[in-house]
Amino acid sequence: MNNLIEFFKKNFHYFLFAILLILSIIMMGKSMSYSKYKFARICQNTVGPIQKSWSEMIHRFSLGQENDLLTQQNVALMREHKNMFIYKNDTVISMMSKTDSLHPRSMRLYDYTYAHVIYKTTDQAFNYLIIDKGSEDGISRDMAVTCPRGVVGVISDVSDHFSSIIPILHPDSRISAIVAPINQVGTVVWEGPNPQVAYLENIPQHLEINIGDSVLTSGFSNIFPKGLLIGTVKEVSVGQNASFLTIKVKLATNFNKLNTVYLIENLHKAEIDSLKANFKNE
Amino acid sequence: MNNVASNILRIIIVLLLQVFICNLIHLFGFITPAIYILGLLLLPLELPKSVQYLIGFCCGLFVDMFTHTLGFNTAACTIIMFIRPYIVKALNGRKTSDSVERPIPGVKDFKWLISYVGVLTLVHQSLIVMLETMKFHNFLYTFIAIIGNTVLTTFLILCTEYIFYPVQGKNK
Repeated sequence: MNNLIEFFKKNFHYFLFAILLILSIIMMGKSMSYSKYKFARICQNTVGPIQKSWSEMIHRFSLGQENDLLTQQNVALMREHKNMFIYKNDTVISMMSKTDSLHPRSMRLYDYTYAHVIYKTTDQAFNYLIIDKGSEDGISRDMAVTCPRGVVGVISDVSDHFSSIIPILHPDSRISAIVAPINQVGTVVWEGPNPQVAYLENIPQHLEINIGDSVLTSGFSNIFPKGLLIGTVKEVSVGQNASFLTIKVKLATNFNKLNTVYLIENLHKAEIDSLKANFKNE
Repeated sequence: MNNVASNILRIIIVLLLQVFICNLIHLFGFITPAIYILGLLLLPLELPKSVQYLIGFCCGLFVDMFTHTLGFNTAACTIIMFIRPYIVKALNGRKTSDSVERPIPGVKDFKWLISYVGVLTLVHQSLIVMLETMKFHNFLYTFIAIIGNTVLTTFLILCTEYIFYPVQGKNK
């Protein structure tokens, strides 16, 4: 008997090894039928929360990539928005050459793409933005620039790989706008140093404008599609020029946080402009 | 035994490194280094064998819990802890050396170390990969995965060892 105990003591580690190995093999066999295995579920419950918070942290590294994918998806969706098309439900003769497969009775008027802002100023008298796409990417002058929050501005100059934008925050910028519920047409201009406030001009005094009304693009300039948000009415007062109201507009776009912008091209701008040329007033 | 704390700390660090960083590496889609066996390889050889097996078992289980492969790493770690003394004995050859020695640079030369780490990693990775891909019968894939994992793991472990146990200048 003593000998047996002695033998067991001496070779204890062999027995332990055998036990541990058998244990792990049992675990292996059971983890094949994973869902039934209680021990696996216990492990999952203890380790799961740690793994979740860790993977959330790791996830942040790929956010930029994911953002690009979302931007592309957004562009694809916005191309199908109804203000991108001219509808011709009642034309007798189908005159359009370019028909869109999704909307057989419509003609595409606007097209979207996107770019990233690489340089911008917001605190000067003449602000401008530079984006990372140029004429080789199909950017041309007078394309409209928007961002997810609202309107940004208009492309002014194009080089091979870069373009400059005149934003709303520029004294030369004039954007044709309407005030939402009454659809009165005016012009959004920027004067002051504040990058969040612009003015809406040419609204006659007799009209009732409420604080909080949306200011949208009118679509008459052939640059912006109809109905994009520019901002909301912040303050209404009677100006020195007695026939018009002075309306302060809080811009929807936060220019300080601008990164990704969408570019909108009017595919038939030249055609419309050639018609307009006959009515040159000045 | 005065460095119990440093051994425990080292094992905990490599385990955390393994589950949070190395397990996310999938080089070429299938090479995942198993750096956590560094903690096992650096355990003192004079430790009681049963303790060594238990440590191997627990380390393997910990990694398995995070990768949902219960049993695979556990078995492989227990087995390499079992064969470790024999590998050391075989590598020492006929040279009679005293039992107290550590498998680190400075004590052992590079050839000894690369054989030691390489052989044990190869065994470990062969066990894991073969157990995992048993049902697929894809020999080439199994072979490449074993070799790739072994080479990368050995490389990383040797680098780590040489960084943390720099060879003294007087030897050269």
